[in-house]
Amino acid sequence: MIPLEYYLLVSAALFSLGLFGLLTRKNAINVLMSVELIFNSGNINLVAFSRFVGGDVEGQVFALFVIAIAACEAAVALAIVMSLFRHLKSVSLEGASALKG
Amino acid sequence: METLAPKIIFWFFTALMLGSALIVVHGRNLVHSGFALLATFFSAAVFYALLGADFLAGAQVLIYVGGILILLLFGVMLTNRIFDVNLKTETFQVVPSALVSAGVFAMLTLVILKTPWRQVSLLEEGPTTAKIGNLLVTTYLLPFEVASVLLLVALLGAAMLVRRRSDL
Amino acid sequence: MQRLDTIASLKYFTPEIVVVFTMMAVLLLDLVAMKRSRGERRVLIVAPALIGLAVALYYSVTLAESPAAGLFSGMVAQDGFGSLLRIVFLVTSIFVLLFTLHSRELAGVHPGELVVLLLTVTAALMWMSNSVNLLMIYLALETVSIASYVMVGYLKSDRLSNEASLKYVLFGAVSTGTMLFGMSLLYGLTGTLDLYGIRSALANQEVVVESAPALMIVVIMVLAGIGFKMATVPFHFWCPDVYTGAPTPVTAFLSVGPKVAGFAVLVRFFYAGMARPDGEAGFAMVGAVNWQAILIGISIVTMTLGNVTALLQTNLKRLLAYSSIAHAGYIMMGAVVLSGEGIQAMVAYVVIYLFMNLGAFLVVIVVHNAVGSFDLKDYAGIWRRSPLLTILMGVFLFSLMGIPPFAGFLAKWYVFAAVIRADLGWFAVVGVLNSAVGAFYYIKILKTMFLEGDDVPEPSSPLPLHPMHAGLLLLLAVPNIIGLLLWGYLDRITEYSQKLLEIL
Repeated sequence: MIPLEYYLLVSAALFSLGLFGLLTRKNAINVLMSVELIFNSGNINLVAFSRFVGGDVEGQVFALFVIAIAACEAAVALAIVMSLFRHLKSVSLEGASALKG
Repeated sequence: METLAPKIIFWFFTALMLGSALIVVHGRNLVHSGFALLATFFSAAVFYALLGADFLAGAQVLIYVGGILILLLFGVMLTNRIFDVNLKTETFQVVPSALVSAGVFAMLTLVILKTPWRQVSLLEEGPTTAKIGNLLVTTYLLPFEVASVLLLVALLGAAMLVRRRSDL
Repeated sequence: MQRLDTIASLKYFTPEIVVVFTMMAVLLLDLVAMKRSRGERRVLIVAPALIGLAVALYYSVTLAESPAAGLFSGMVAQDGFGSLLRIVFLVTSIFVLLFTLHSRELAGVHPGELVVLLLTVTAALMWMSNSVNLLMIYLALETVSIASYVMVGYLKSDRLSNEASLKYVLFGAVSTGTMLFGMSLLYGLTGTLDLYGIRSALANQEVVVESAPALMIVVIMVLAGIGFKMATVPFHFWCPDVYTGAPTPVTAFLSVGPKVAGFAVLVRFFYAGMARPDGEAGFAMVGAVNWQAILIGISIVTMTLGNVTALLQTNLKRLLAYSSIAHAGYIMMGAVVLSGEGIQAMVAYVVIYLFMNLGAFLVVIVVHNAVGSFDLKDYAGIWRRSPLLTILMGVFLFSLMGIPPFAGFLAKWYVFAAVIRADLGWFAVVGVLNSAVGAFYYIKILKTMFLEGDDVPEPSSPLPLHPMHAGLLLLLAVPNIIGLLLWGYLDRITEYSQKLLEIL
């Protein structure tokens, strides 16, 4: 049986990697991929806790909703990226600086 | 031998997940990042299965890999000139960000290891689908309905943002 | 506090149900009306939406007297606090819907989806401010956010609108993702998603000390998500850009609706999840983290940064964005004092803030319709072109400043009084100093409108003011003026606001 802490450490590593991607990436779609990593890390936490601490499937239900929400968010975010791409012909975050600071 | 198999699976997929996540956040080529994300999502599904969440593992593969990942790849294809041999992506401020992320990871590790998580034994092993379904129509009925409104609005919004005729 | 099952809960849920059904009706009407002319379509879509919102408002008001209860197996609460906020959201939506009718920015685009999105956001805001379960909070918050992302990017041909919505979505996704991680840790610490269950688990003495570091991380991470919605420091970075790029009616909505709902979640999460009622003293914190200190710190930094940065702005929408960041700091003052009075003060501030802020934004819309610009220098000499508009803007700005006899003063009075009574006098002093600093930029706007028109060469033509806009402006200005007259009705108000505390 794999202890709870191992799963938590994996999700913490995933969260940190997602954070790293967020801070360094210039391409908007790359940033979105990093954000998906963060959502997945939260989900792993939820499922692990559901098994070890909750004793019931509540955490899994929450994780299921998170998956659905993340799908919606990705769809809308990509639609926005598309819309912006039509204007700028590029999705580099460096180009999106008409709004200052 | 019985306890060895889960351990092997766990460590293998941990390595796969973290390795592919590294490619996602730092890889040079955008399409490579996209496919590495596939490996990450799939490893997460394996973790869910290891934790006994069979329905969730299936849902993860179906929705994340089959939906979100495909969408992201479409996004990549449609917003870049993929016929360029190298789909290079640039990064900025790598070293400070790496320090920040490492710091966050260290802090989280400390907290995770020091907290005495109150663990209970699982009430019963077995398939979770019926239990999840039960919860969805009793306790969690309202979120279930609200989620349907959310899905409608996301669909509407995404379609509106992407269609060509703006006066329609 | 009783918990009601699904069927019995539906009775209390009528406002949200009405709004959702109106949304679906408008969606279908939009489809049916496709062949008609632009003007006809606009009316065909907006009229049912207004009727739906009005009906929901009626139900909200009649339901406001109901006893406190937990609905839908503990997902959502029905209490005075939530009922009053429901009314706030519905009123905001009605005003914003009317703002969209004669806006130059939105003239070229079809309003169908905007109305649908607005209705959905309204329903989601009502859910968000009533949620008492982590899952429901997260779900409602995301619904509000996702619909807002689309509303901000509504002007597809305008590059600023697109950029604003991209920044909004990326920032929002990060904040809510972080909040999710924090919520998952909270679930791990307590084993339950229900806020009241979390409170009992955290109050358990054995758990308290050892879980302190984890709880601190939970608080910081959850504040990332809530702070993003409230636009407090350090999660306010999206605010100026999004407010500037979005179509102004949407900006007006964002400055009131989601912000207030963010505060509702703040109150529910911390008062129901991490504090318990403590008799005379109000509330006492539960769990080993002194979150009150953290929130006080955030409030101070937020109001200071908002006020100071607003001084440098020349774009009116950006200035109002920083002004609303500063007001978020003031509203937070009421939320952190751990007393019933603080919550009452916060709700009073929010109601008055609705009228002040929507009024100011409506003036911005009217001027943009006439002049086509949001820059402060183009506001020069508006006094000569439309004295009525300038006077009304003066009403709104004086109210925002907190000058008696306007209602904004009353709002600040309530908040500062609650803070002083909670033995945090120095905090109130910081608030007063900030208000003083804030006065400068509001006066700068008025000065520009009144005085600097002398070097305008052409003869000043009267500013076109659509009668509907004039009516709305007066409607928004009146509560600001008579606000202070409500002093006489203070006991009625206090008696009602006692109801605000029933669920917590």
